[in-house]
Amino acid sequence: MNRSILADMLEGTYEIIEAEDGLKAVAALQQHETDIDLVLLDIVMPDMDGFQVLEVMNARHWIDNIPVIMISAETATSHVERAYSLGCTDFISRPFDALVVHRRVVNTILLYAKQKKLVAMVTDQIYEKERQSGLMIDILSHIVEFRNGESAQHVINVRTLSDLFLSRLVEKTDRYHLTRADISRITTAASLHDVGKIAIASEILNKPGRLTPEEFAIMKTHSAVGSQMMDDLPRFYQDDPLVKVARDICRWHHERYDGRGYPDGLVGDEIPISAQVVALADVYDALTSARVYKPAFSHEKAAEMILGGECGVFNPLLLECLRDIASSLPERLRDVGSARVSPTSISNLETEMHRYEELSASERTLRLLEHERMKYSFFAAMSQEIQFEFTLDPPMVTLNAWGAHKLGLHETILSPMQDAQVLKCLVAEDQEALAAALHATTPAQPVVKRDCRINLQGDHRWYQVVARATWSSTDPPQYTGAIGKAIDVHDSRLKLVELERRASHDPLTGLLNHASARERIQSLLEEYPHKKFALAILDLDRFKSANDTYGHIFGDQVLRYLAGKLRECIRGEDIAARVGGDEFIIFLNYEGDLEPIIRRIFNSLSGGFYEQFPISVSMGVARTELVGTDYQSLLQSADQALYSVKRTDKGHYRFFDRAMKAMFSVISPIDSSGVSAAASEEKGGSNL
Amino acid sequence: MTLRELYTAIGGDYEGVLGRMMNRESMVEKFVLKFLQDASYDKLMESMEAENYEEAFRAAHTIKGVGQNLGFTRLYQSAGALSEALRGGCRPQDQALLERVEEDYRQTAGAIRAFQEASGT
Repeated sequence: MNRSILADMLEGTYEIIEAEDGLKAVAALQQHETDIDLVLLDIVMPDMDGFQVLEVMNARHWIDNIPVIMISAETATSHVERAYSLGCTDFISRPFDALVVHRRVVNTILLYAKQKKLVAMVTDQIYEKERQSGLMIDILSHIVEFRNGESAQHVINVRTLSDLFLSRLVEKTDRYHLTRADISRITTAASLHDVGKIAIASEILNKPGRLTPEEFAIMKTHSAVGSQMMDDLPRFYQDDPLVKVARDICRWHHERYDGRGYPDGLVGDEIPISAQVVALADVYDALTSARVYKPAFSHEKAAEMILGGECGVFNPLLLECLRDIASSLPERLRDVGSARVSPTSISNLETEMHRYEELSASERTLRLLEHERMKYSFFAAMSQEIQFEFTLDPPMVTLNAWGAHKLGLHETILSPMQDAQVLKCLVAEDQEALAAALHATTPAQPVVKRDCRINLQGDHRWYQVVARATWSSTDPPQYTGAIGKAIDVHDSRLKLVELERRASHDPLTGLLNHASARERIQSLLEEYPHKKFALAILDLDRFKSANDTYGHIFGDQVLRYLAGKLRECIRGEDIAARVGGDEFIIFLNYEGDLEPIIRRIFNSLSGGFYEQFPISVSMGVARTELVGTDYQSLLQSADQALYSVKRTDKGHYRFFDRAMKAMFSVISPIDSSGVSAAASEEKGGSNL
Repeated sequence: MTLRELYTAIGGDYEGVLGRMMNRESMVEKFVLKFLQDASYDKLMESMEAENYEEAFRAAHTIKGVGQNLGFTRLYQSAGALSEALRGGCRPQDQALLERVEEDYRQTAGAIRAFQEASGT
């Protein structure tokens, strides 16, 4: 009601999105972020109150770009203060006056529009200023180089090399306390290193042959002259950090680490790191460029000469830097020809801009973001997947519309781990496993996969969840949540289960096949080594004659009949399998006396007829108590017992006993291949 | 019955609300009539019945806001007093607070209904 009065007051002038509570407001913000010019926010609301909305807006940095006006009947100072401290722009108390609301809304929107415009202007200006000062320095240093007769590329290369060495240096050590701004300043000032050469006579500068000692002495004055030029700058510039760095570089870029350079013979870190780096860059580029007195050396040769100490002694740390990046230098130097702004000054510009939070999102970025968002929501809607984003702080899950609809949840859910509706969607085991797997990821390997059973409003289906943990870019990285999707794999998974079932069962009788029975029996034997188990192997007497007399189809029917009887007379936890033509095994656990159990099974199988064919079976039984828990021995022993039944009195059963064991081990060393070969000889082809 | 008479009958501030709505009598009338459809009062009664005082607080708070916006001074005041007593989900000590809201609401709603019939809408 209050909302609709407000909407009525603003209607016509503005497009209005209404949200009836805090949660819906956050969802609307999420969805329309860049389209929203202003939020009018109440305090007292169900589910999520106005302050909580402000907190979310802060956490997501929406508050940086979207102004909020609080409207509430709450006028307590504490409320107003809290709202302002959370970043709201204005506070209107009830009863609201149409004119006041209008005016304040207009003011706030205009203010923000102006601010955005200013941000864009300032960004452009900073960039332009940076570009221009770079250009001025370039021109100045080119004048010097032009007089030197050195290539115009030299200044650019020295600057680039200094940048690369310094970037590597700060990766290795913080001994020199260099910030990005320092590096940027040093590389800019590096362009000026030879500015003192302007004072050297061009006959000396461009002399093709070797310089005489006198000429060389004059030549060497260029470093002192350069620093003097900086010192002679109007007082106003003297304190500028760039000028100070330029002075150091001009004066000391011919010093050497062992004190054998000029003009001052400084030793080690008495030489400012700026000058040390430029000295190295200067030498490297001089070696790799052709000069009037020498040809160009290859990059490999140049690095080798410097590392070998042929060009004087350098800071061992800097030499390490050179060694680290030597192989990539030729390529990096080539690239720079095209890009006029050094990588450092660009990243420096970025850092500079990030310092002003309100500068963080330019109009262009927002347009790109909007485009990405549109693409994303289009694909999300098309994909028929449940897509989600989970953040730890604030604890919140956002679902795509399709997924929310499928799950019967809201698109935005606050504190999902306390939400019964959410928890119902996933069984506890899957929840824990997923959470643990996500927490165990690393920024380098953030993706986890798991098949989970998802509850779609009562309908349980298998989904594959693929999620990527999100890590903050801080050091050390913090786990901040996850994004991911769940794909319906129910049908393919059921198919897999069915295939597994088929692979493990005998198609004729529906009993387990030998391979899978063995697998199950072995795992039971391993899991319960102290329980008592028995393995019985049985076959049909005179089965071959059934096949021969009545045909294979009849034979198959007899086998199915026997399998049916077998299934009836065993308990649920027992294992029955068809292991070959007319051979079956039964595996069971027992306590107490085994004999009556076997007798019962035997009696229910044997005797009677299938149509005209008399059912008679022979059975051999082996016990783990006697034979041990090795499957192969059990099977061989049972087979041995069966063999002795078959030989003497068909239609009975017999236990494998000590006497047989002794005989077995002495005169009948049947190995496993022997057993299976013997078994397969008896199999009728079609009964397989 | 005119709008002004309606406000007099229920102890409301007609001038105030008219001023806030840019002197548009039709707008005032629209929202006054809409007041009858607002569910907050029913919600208040239900949640008091169910002893859900947090929900009751929000409902009372909404009635207070609506009353304030529409210049229903008496209802605004009694709903305000009740919402203060309910703040933080407390059970109100004074039973009379709810009774006053009930009475003010009944009177306000009754008068609006009479106005509605008289103007034939």
